[in-house]
Amino acid sequence: MRTYVLKRLLLVVPTLLGVASLVFVIMRVIPGDVALLILGGDAGNVDQKQLVAMRAQLGLDQPLLVQFGTWLWGVLRLDFGTSLWTGQPVTEELLIRLPLSLELALLATLVSVLIAIPLGMLAAVRQDTWVDYAVRIVSIGGLAIPSFWIGILCILALVIFFGWGPPLEFTPPWVDPWANLEMMLWPVLTVGYRYSAVTTRMTRSTLLEVLREDYIRTAWAKGLRERAVVIRHALKNAMLPVVTLIGTEFAFLIGGLVVTETVFTLNGIGRFVVDAVAHRDYPVVQALVFLIAFSFVVVNLLVDLTYAWFDPRIRYR
Amino acid sequence: MATVLGRQRMLCAAVLLALLLVPLSVADPAGAAETPRRGGVLLAVIGADPPSLDPHQESTFANIQLVAPLYSTLLQIDPYEYPKIIGDVATEWKIAPDGLSYTFKIRPGIVFHDGSPLTAADVKATYDKIIFPPEGVRSIRKQAYSAVASVEAPDAGTVVFRLKFPSASLLANLASPWNVIYPKKYLDKDPNYFKTNVVGSGPFKFKSYTRGSSFEGERNPGYFVKDRPYLDGYKFFISPETSVRAAAIRSGRAYIEFRDLPLSEVDAIKKQLGDKVVVQQTPMVGQFGIAMNNTVKPFTDIRVRKALTLGFDRYTAGRVLYPLTGLRDVGPLIRPGTEWALPPAELETIPGFWRDAEKSRAEAKRLLAEAGYPNGLKLVLKNRNVKLPYQDLAVFVIQEWRKIGVEVENRPLETASWFSDGRDTGNFELIIAPTVEFMDEPDQFLNRYTTGAPQNWSRFSDPAVDDLFARQARAVDPVERRKLVHQLQKRVLEQAYYMPGLWWSRRVVHLAKVKNYVAPPSHYTNQKLQDVWLSED
Amino acid sequence: MATRVVLTHGTASATLAPRLTLADEVVKFVRTKPLGAAGAAIILGMLAVAASAHALAPYDPYRADYGLQFARPSLEHWFGTDEFGRDVLSRIMYGARIALFVGFTASFAGCTIGALLGVTSAYLGGKVDLLLERLMDVLLAFPQLILALAIASILGPAVQNVVIAIAIPIIPRAARVVRSAALSVKENVYVEAVHALGASRPRVMLQHIMPNVMAPYIIIVTAQLGSAILAEAALSYLGLGAAEPTPSWGLMLSGSALSYAEKAPWMPIFPGLAISLGVFGFNLFGDSLRDALDPKLRGR
Repeated sequence: MRTYVLKRLLLVVPTLLGVASLVFVIMRVIPGDVALLILGGDAGNVDQKQLVAMRAQLGLDQPLLVQFGTWLWGVLRLDFGTSLWTGQPVTEELLIRLPLSLELALLATLVSVLIAIPLGMLAAVRQDTWVDYAVRIVSIGGLAIPSFWIGILCILALVIFFGWGPPLEFTPPWVDPWANLEMMLWPVLTVGYRYSAVTTRMTRSTLLEVLREDYIRTAWAKGLRERAVVIRHALKNAMLPVVTLIGTEFAFLIGGLVVTETVFTLNGIGRFVVDAVAHRDYPVVQALVFLIAFSFVVVNLLVDLTYAWFDPRIRYR
Repeated sequence: MATVLGRQRMLCAAVLLALLLVPLSVADPAGAAETPRRGGVLLAVIGADPPSLDPHQESTFANIQLVAPLYSTLLQIDPYEYPKIIGDVATEWKIAPDGLSYTFKIRPGIVFHDGSPLTAADVKATYDKIIFPPEGVRSIRKQAYSAVASVEAPDAGTVVFRLKFPSASLLANLASPWNVIYPKKYLDKDPNYFKTNVVGSGPFKFKSYTRGSSFEGERNPGYFVKDRPYLDGYKFFISPETSVRAAAIRSGRAYIEFRDLPLSEVDAIKKQLGDKVVVQQTPMVGQFGIAMNNTVKPFTDIRVRKALTLGFDRYTAGRVLYPLTGLRDVGPLIRPGTEWALPPAELETIPGFWRDAEKSRAEAKRLLAEAGYPNGLKLVLKNRNVKLPYQDLAVFVIQEWRKIGVEVENRPLETASWFSDGRDTGNFELIIAPTVEFMDEPDQFLNRYTTGAPQNWSRFSDPAVDDLFARQARAVDPVERRKLVHQLQKRVLEQAYYMPGLWWSRRVVHLAKVKNYVAPPSHYTNQKLQDVWLSED
Repeated sequence: MATRVVLTHGTASATLAPRLTLADEVVKFVRTKPLGAAGAAIILGMLAVAASAHALAPYDPYRADYGLQFARPSLEHWFGTDEFGRDVLSRIMYGARIALFVGFTASFAGCTIGALLGVTSAYLGGKVDLLLERLMDVLLAFPQLILALAIASILGPAVQNVVIAIAIPIIPRAARVVRSAALSVKENVYVEAVHALGASRPRVMLQHIMPNVMAPYIIIVTAQLGSAILAEAALSYLGLGAAEPTPSWGLMLSGSALSYAEKAPWMPIFPGLAISLGVFGFNLFGDSLRDALDPKLRGR
């Protein structure tokens, strides 16, 4: 086990280094110049001399390798630099947005699990009956609807029929739980429903697999009630891949909800990173992509290690 | 049959709309007759975050709308009477007969939010930063003050601007909402201090700013205008999604959107809230046009440039695009209806502005054939990937050009690429680019047609235009200046160096309880909010 | 472990040499997987509309009629007209072409490249495997939308560039799935035998391993079809999809269609329904196909 853990830990390093290099390269390849954006803006009244000075001031005149090295060295010391766009430390800007994104990801995952596991079980037990079909139609339907479309139509309907619009500012739940709920309810429901589809499918298929194993059939033959069999034996054994999926989804949700955040005026990580790309704010994009990748890698690592813990065969592969 | 009915209905709707909007914009939305009520926090929505808080360094409404209430300026545009210029921290001013020196008296007793007094030294430090910025400090509007030789503060209550040559536009430029006055002692320490900090002398004090979320100011009890402001504070919520901003007003979570909302949203808000909402419709000091790159083929040929402008039926465009985008008026290079604009009678003799669209198209085809493109040509129009009004204008004009055999591909770019891979670097054939200023001032609008000007998107050089520009900038006599300004516009339009599209208009939507706010034709001015008050619901 | 290998291999050879005729297979699929059949029907319908859009569409999708802006649905314009008086139905019909083009090319390109990498990785093993795996890890960990956003803005706004932007994030996902399937096939005695007989490496890979990982490949292709169409819509919403006046579903939905939702509800509703229905069809079909192809999930 120890060698396995060590091996997995070592593999994280090249992945993160790769992500760091890729985001660095991509950001420099995209046309666009933050100095020009800052100086010219919409008016575009740019003096070439000022432009050169501005680039130097932002450190963009340095050779690319030097810029990359400086940045990596900063990351190692947990210093993500300052935003070119606002001049504020990236960490500070990030901390403004993180609580909201974490809460959204957490609640949405919770909702998706609450929907997915019962539905998935139901569909598996009643495979190829109308119950199965109904569950699949509902969950696949959730996956098919463009989120911005349904989001904006929802808001519009609430405004037209109830004169209710979503709050415009995030209130942490410990300050005012009601105001917080008012803001988070709709996004959490739409995202939760959407992501429940994948989990439902996974729950259904892993359960189907387990249900076909011999020991379940034996339990079945012993005459226990069907539900008890499913819950006691099958579910326990089917949970591992489902938990994996939930874990990776959670990691994705932290930074991946750009469209939802825009539609519901949520000041979260997703919108932040897209804005930063638009501003060619290299340090911010680099830091955010790195952190999103980092959380993704860590969740995956944890999942893999859990697997190895439960299934010794994996360690020897 | 259905078509006819549909048209009639459209017409009816248009007439009704006009009836609805016209009285609103004429009638005093301010309700000056009522007694102002004190208290309350004005809640507003805005579409973006500013890059920094220093207006000297920014050109976006997202900056000025947030911070204008926190600062004072030397002069200002009368909040009730655009474009009349009145004092702010200056109480009176004198212009020397030769036009080479401007002397301002500074109102005594003004204090900054940190308690220190505002004196002539602060005004001088501010303008030195704007006109002669130190290394590493950008100053966006530096060129507007090229006539200024020096700024002096002979005593605490006097500021003198000394000029190299007479300037017709200096007074207007000193009323610029962007030129907010900073305390000298902070500038001395760090000229970029105000990018992230606020120390002003305006009616409100800075309270808080959460990036991407909200910006807040609170009443300044020590404000130098007696009994102002009425409000306890103001708060902007930041949301990039237009429909969310509209929904915020409909649900009462915000009271006003200062910039503009699409007409469709305005109609919906109006329908739902009835007389609880007020829509102020004003023209806009801004124009959306198309730059043709004069340095590349085929635009080196005047016949092609003329053909394209002839092929753009602006009168139909105004009718079609107005309800979609607010782009409305056909006009020259300065806003139609102002004294500076080339009068319609003259404008309509210039190719591209003829009333007869069919005649224009025939002439366009003839010119194209003459220039060697009898079978038309293919071009690429670079554009910003913003729906309103950029994309809508492109859809319209592309359809128009097809009628004269010119096939144009619309290529929307992200804002950053639109600057660096298009407008600001000249890597384009055709590009949609707006010109928006804070005031109808010839210097502001015409400088962009001179040789080498950074805003000369079409990248042409015409000594005749340069000469006319230089002469009008120094022409202190308004009649003389107007003549030169008209000549310049005529020259640019006849040579078809640049293709003006339509002049913009805006609709400021606010709940009826927001009183005493008059929307000017620019969304950069009248944002100080000192006279605004909230009635009880 | 051994059981699984035999099963996977068994299915694949059954597909390769069907004892049933195609018609029989179809009938069987429809009977046992009615949802999948419904999905297939939706896809076929979409294909038919796309293929004959020029004949079916009542109007030119680009043709603006300024006398008829925002016309409500009528006999002349079943789905009404948009802000420029263009016929919404015709635009949706032509839009089906773009949606299918984006869906199929992005998903096939992404999955095929991914599958090739996956098979190579599994078959060659060793350093190549280690390297490719790390590369895939990097692509997987990279936020999908940011990658697409960056690629779209590097390449510029055109449908074919959107395809590339959507295809690249698919590659590592396909590679991962196919690699693990290929690993099981590789351990098979049969492959070892072919190898011993002197077949070259590319030959073994293409002729013997590829056909045997077809099941997971097809599953992932169909799974990605729908999400590719949705990704196009999301990119359009962020201003990086197809350019006006292209009749793309994503473009019709984004922009101002939503701000006209009250004035002209048909403008956002019909394209939205078209996308949802199309993606729903693909996902339904994909889900059932997975059920049918995956031996572990076969009906009792």
